Formats: sequence, C-alpha cells, structure tokens
Amino acid sequence: MARAHETTSGTLLPTNSPAAVWAAIGAVLFAAQGGAFFGFVVGVLGDLLTVTPLPGAAFVTAVEAAVEQIPTLLSRDVIPNDGYWNGSRWVGTFLGLPPGLAWGIRAALVYLYAFVFAGWVILGYRLYRREYRTADWTPRDDMVDRFRGHKWGIFGLVVVFMFVVMAVFAPVLGPTTVDENMRNSYSNEITYWDSDAEAVQTTLVGEANLASQSRGDNPERVLPMEYDDFGRFHPFGTLPSGQDLFTFIVSGSRLSLVIGLLSVGLSAGIAASLALVAAYYKGRTDLGLVLASDSVMAMPQLLLLIMLTTVLSGTWLAEIYSGGFVLALIFAGTGWTYMWRSLRGPALQVAERQWIDAAQSFGQRPLTIMRKHMLPYITGYLLIYGSMTLGGAIISIAGLSYLGLGIAPPTPEWGRAINLGQDYVATGSWHISLIPGLLITLVVTGFNALGDGVRDAIDPQSDATTEDGAAGRGGGA
Amino acid sequence: MSVGPDEEPLLAVRDLEVVFHTEREEIHAVDGVSFDIHEGETVGLVGESGSGKSVTARSILGLVDSPGSIEGGKVGFRGDDLTDDNWERHRGDIAIVFQDPSNSLNPVYTVGNQIKEALRIHQGLRGNEATDAAVGLLEDVGIPDPRRRVEEYPHQLSGGMQQRAVIAMALACDPDLLVCDEPTTALDVTIQAQILDLLADLQREEDLAILFITHDMGVIEDATDRVNVIYAGEIVERAPTGTLFSEPAHPYTEALLRSIPGRTNAAERLPTIEGEVPTPTGRAEDCRFAPRCPYAFAECHEMPPEHVDVGAERSAACLLHEDGSEEAAERTVFDGSEAVSGGDSA
Repeated sequence: MARAHETTSGTLLPTNSPAAVWAAIGAVLFAAQGGAFFGFVVGVLGDLLTVTPLPGAAFVTAVEAAVEQIPTLLSRDVIPNDGYWNGSRWVGTFLGLPPGLAWGIRAALVYLYAFVFAGWVILGYRLYRREYRTADWTPRDDMVDRFRGHKWGIFGLVVVFMFVVMAVFAPVLGPTTVDENMRNSYSNEITYWDSDAEAVQTTLVGEANLASQSRGDNPERVLPMEYDDFGRFHPFGTLPSGQDLFTFIVSGSRLSLVIGLLSVGLSAGIAASLALVAAYYKGRTDLGLVLASDSVMAMPQLLLLIMLTTVLSGTWLAEIYSGGFVLALIFAGTGWTYMWRSLRGPALQVAERQWIDAAQSFGQRPLTIMRKHMLPYITGYLLIYGSMTLGGAIISIAGLSYLGLGIAPPTPEWGRAINLGQDYVATGSWHISLIPGLLITLVVTGFNALGDGVRDAIDPQSDATTEDGAAGRGGGA
Repeated sequence: MSVGPDEEPLLAVRDLEVVFHTEREEIHAVDGVSFDIHEGETVGLVGESGSGKSVTARSILGLVDSPGSIEGGKVGFRGDDLTDDNWERHRGDIAIVFQDPSNSLNPVYTVGNQIKEALRIHQGLRGNEATDAAVGLLEDVGIPDPRRRVEEYPHQLSGGMQQRAVIAMALACDPDLLVCDEPTTALDVTIQAQILDLLADLQREEDLAILFITHDMGVIEDATDRVNVIYAGEIVERAPTGTLFSEPAHPYTEALLRSIPGRTNAAERLPTIEGEVPTPTGRAEDCRFAPRCPYAFAECHEMPPEHVDVGAERSAACLLHEDGSEEAAERTVFDGSEAVSGGDSA
C-alpha cells in the first residue's frame, strides 16, 4: 500500500532507504548547531550544579568550557554584528553590513534553521508512519490528524516553538551578550565612531550604557530598531539602565522556560502518579488524597512564597537560577493539586475499564497496570493541563518578579523588565514595559492555544473542523 | 464428567458474602452463596441482571473493587481459602473472560502484546519465544492467520475474533478454572455458537473447569453440566442441567424456563415474571422471591427459606419443599451449609 503514495523522499532520492537519508539530514542539521544545543543543556544543568554543594562543580565548568569550543555554524563569531564605523565603512561586522542588518540575518537564520529542524522531525514522523510502522492505523494517528486541522492549536504550537527556540538559542539571538552588556559591562570595551571627534574611539560598555539610557523623554533614549550613539543596534531599544532590552528578554526567556518546565514537570509528575494511585485503589486512598490536596489548596500560595523566599535566602537552594528553582519547587508543591483534580476524573474512568480487571486477573503488578494500562489514557490530559499551567507559571514568575519577589536581580526576567519600565509607560520610553508585556501575553496565549488544540485533538467528540476554537478556556496562575 | 460429591472440589465457594457500602445503604450483592466446581466440569450460574452473578465471578478472582468487599464466607481453591489473601498464590490458576471483548482488550496495544503480557508473568516467556507462544494460542482459539493477527490492534478484529483473543489471553495463564462472565452476550447468535463450541473443545483438550455465568437459559442448556440459579444474591436452586430443565423445583426457575421463547407452546404472549429483582439492602428476613412468586403463602413473608434436597444432587431454597422435615434440611447437597441465613463472620 505504500507504493501508491510514495513519500517525497522515496521518489526524489536514489535510494531504497529513506530512513538513512532522513538520518543523514538529521546528522548534518545537528552538526551545524550541535554547539548551541549542548550549550543550552550544559548551561541549564550548569546553573543547577555549580551552586549545589556537591562535588563536580569544577567538572561542570570544564564541560562548559569544552562545549564552547564546539564549532557552531550560526554563532556570534560566524555572523558577527559587533563592529564599528571607521568613517567610511563598517568594520568587524558580517560582510561589512550595518550591525542591525547583520544581527537581523543571524536571527533570521537561527529561526530558519529551527523551522527546518522542525520540518525534519515532522518528515521523520510521516516517514515512519508510512513506510516503517507495521500497523497502518493507530488511535494516535487520528489525534495528530485532528491537530493538523486545528488552526488555533497550530498557532499555539508555532508561538510556543518560537519561544522555545528563543530560549535555546538565547546567546546567539541577542545583539550582545548578558555578560558583556550587563554582568561585566565595566570589564568589556567597545570601539565606536565618535562623530564629534571624527575618529574611532574605545570606551567601556558600562560607560556606553550610561549614555544610552531610556528614561522617559531624554534625548539619549533608544527606541526599538534604533542605533545608539555608539553604533550599537537595539532591536527592542534600551532599558532605563542603558542595557539592551532584546538581550535581556531572550536571556529571560531561558529562565522562564526552565522554571516553567521544571515546575509543571514536577507538578505533572506528582499529579499523574497520585491520580493513578487514587483511581486504582479508590476508597480510603482516594479520600485521603482528596483531603491532602484540599489542604494544600487552602494554603495561601503567595504568603507561602514570600515566607519561603525569606527563609531560604542565603542558602544554596535559593541561588539556583537566581531563586527560580525555589519558585519552581513552590509552584510544583502547591500547583499539583489543581492538576490532580483534573486528572483524577479521567483516571477513575480508565480504572473502570475491563482491561484493568483483565490485567489484574492474570496477576499483573499494580504499578505496571497503572503505567501500562492507565497512564496512556491520561497523558493527553497531562499535555493539555501541562501546557495551560505552563502559561500560568510564566505569568506567575513574571508577576512575582514584577513585585520584586522570586528571581533575584540582576538576572534578566520578563516581569522585571515590565517593572523597570513602569515609570516611563506614558513617556517617550514606552517600549520598556510594553514589549515584554506583549510578549508575555503572546507566549501565554500560545501555551493556552496549544492546550486547546491538544484537547480538541485528543477528544474525538470535539469537532476540530469548526473554526471557533478560539473560544477555548484560558489558563492562568 | 460428572463427579461424585465426595471428591474434593476444585473450587468450593461457601457462604460468600459481598457487601457494597454506599453512602445511603449497604447492598448485600452476594448473600451467602455456596457452590462447588469439580475438575473438568462446567457449572452454570444463571440469573437476571442485578442478581449478583458478576459480583460472584469477580469475588472468585479477588477483583471486587471499593466500595465493595468480601465480608464473609470462603472461596476454597485446591484446599486454600482465597479470601485469606491467597489470591496472589493462585494467580493464573483461575482466569476470567468478560462479557464485552472490545472492552477487555486495551485498544492501544496489539493483541500479541497483551497475550505476551500474561505469558511473561505466568510462563516467563519473552521475545520471540513469547511471540511464538502467542501465535500458538491464537491458533488454538481458532483465529486464522495468527502470525498476522498477533501484530494487529483490537479494533482490527471482529467481535468474535476479539473474544477469541480474550480467551487466548486467559489461556496464556494456563488456568485450571476459567470463569466466563457472560462471554457470549455481546456477540450475535452464530458467533455465540462458535464461541460455545470453542469453549467446549478447549475444555476437552485442556481439562478445564468452567464457571459459566449468563442470563441466557438456552446457553446454559447447551453448555453446562450443573446449574446454580441465583436470585437477589442468593442461590435458589442447584441441579444437574437436564433435571433442572425437565423438572424445575423452585418457582423462580420455573418462571425463568417459562419465559424462554419456544418452550411454552400454548400462549401467544410470552409469560414474564412481574416486578423486578429487589436490591438486597440487608440480611434476608423473608423469601426474596415471595413478592413475585405465584405460589407465595403467608410464611414466605416471615422467614427465609433454607436449601432442601429435592432429588439426586439437587436442592432448592423454597418453603414449598420444606415439608417440615428436618431430615430433608440436613441432607442438602452442600454438607448442611445454609445458603440463606449465611455466616455472621462479617
């Protein structure tokens, strides 16, 4: 049956093994950007490990250094945008282009690469489905097909994907780096064209920042897509401190994503295990868990958060991800209850199915029954609630940083960008609060849309062909 | 196939009490049920919906879920009392086939995968060995082209095929006793006959004992050696199949037989039993069938009847047969145990 509608790769390529071609494309794609992937993983783990009082921190630093040596195609070195005008042309930028254009090309190529990578994954799935899988249909196929027809869900997926790409490729995407522009701005120098002196000069980044602050209507303020007086391009303008807002935001996305994923992953894990246990054993176990979750729900999350941040401040735990780890733990510890409530119903429903009895009758172990015969039926709900809670977690983190809780300065965080700009909302420096605010709204909407799409895809009764999916339910903290 | 009552039975259910605790009341779904199954025989358990058939079946396998629990009596299997937490010890010796085959198979795994799961637990088979064994089992239950079918998902099989696969899954445990809980109810008549034939063949080949649970008297007549008639959680009559059909002793059995199409020739309208099976919310204080019984008299509403012998290997719980004779009461088939009054061990 595969012959009738051959895959594109099967007809285009002179080989009988499309899988090999697919794997080769993957290898090339990965080789091009392997450094960025490893950099992201090592960076995330490294932040976690270097502050823990465990041996191996030195090892992590060594690995980080080693990873930096991996050649990467789309890197700051290959397509540089840090350059200066020497009076007649741009020096040090990619192909001698203006820095803004060089940065634009780099950012566009990163996203292009990411979408090609996504296409490669989709191609692999379709190849597997058509050529290699023995069954020509499984229930999951219908879900995938329904999702493909769900425009609102696809919109969510694209937004979420772009957000993840931003987090993974954060160091490459920014026009400058956190280290150079923020953390150690007085240890780094830049070269620039001094138009008054008509000569190329050098100055400290910190000094340059002071001269490009956006504070209301001051003449030095740098609005989105503008250059400052030092020839530096700022896609989103500058912060009141003169730091680059875009770099601040891409770097903050990493933190939001990691904390969001961590807290949602943890609470989803707790919620799913407890839902399975409650549904399998029912009776007293179930009642006990209902009581436990109700008690946790009754705790005031914000007060608990303030208390724990104070209690834990100064300990190594509070230093992981600048306090984000503690946030994630608190979100997980209090947030699992809502997810558990939502999962318990479907889990109880599955537990009534006869194949559970059948498995029990032939002596399957309870844990295996839960994992093999029940879990697959609630993973869909896990995805939906997980995706929606993730949006909520991102809002919460931003909200807390806005209030000055949670993520310690100077670590970039979206909520703090809003906070920093709130004095200037009605002035000429309107961009500082507006841009991160819009981005948070967009990303959270994306996560909720993705959740909606997944829900409609999983539920065969929902009619995904009607296009009013946008009326779906919202997430929230 | 018929075995002397003196021989040690394979399964001996004694005074089984299963109670469901709901918020408003206690439901005695199974109230003092006793019966035996000997090696290699087929015993029927017949009754209306809600009479406690399936709960009895599930108790034998220890599958009664909360809020229900076994609160009295014994389930003896090969000399061990299963209710004494011996279920794990005899896991696989008793297998069950449920009513709806499409619901007994997990739709996300292939048929082979699910049979192999049982094979792995009970025969320690893995990999190719397990696949071969699964193919063999599918062949035994009469599925054509088992090599291909073993890779297929449940939805790719017809209802009859699915039930065969479920039976294969049960056989993978290599059981001594197969509990069939309405195995043919969800199937159409021709497939039903095929499954009954299959079960009979398997019984002959593997020397299986079968507990056959159904509400279909026709199936009982075809498939079983002895029958227990259950009503509102109590067994009201037990008899060899032939005699039960020729001369029913309990008014309920009689009424059941009258309502089989084609057996009664006179009436144009099929006689029915008026009323519904009562929900047994407490211990029996009267005959539970009395409100629907055409022969009921005053005493029927005052005391629960006990099982009395009404012929060779048969007994009925009905005051019509009691005749005031204490000897008769003592000679009940099941060593004097009383099906109605039950134990007070709960």
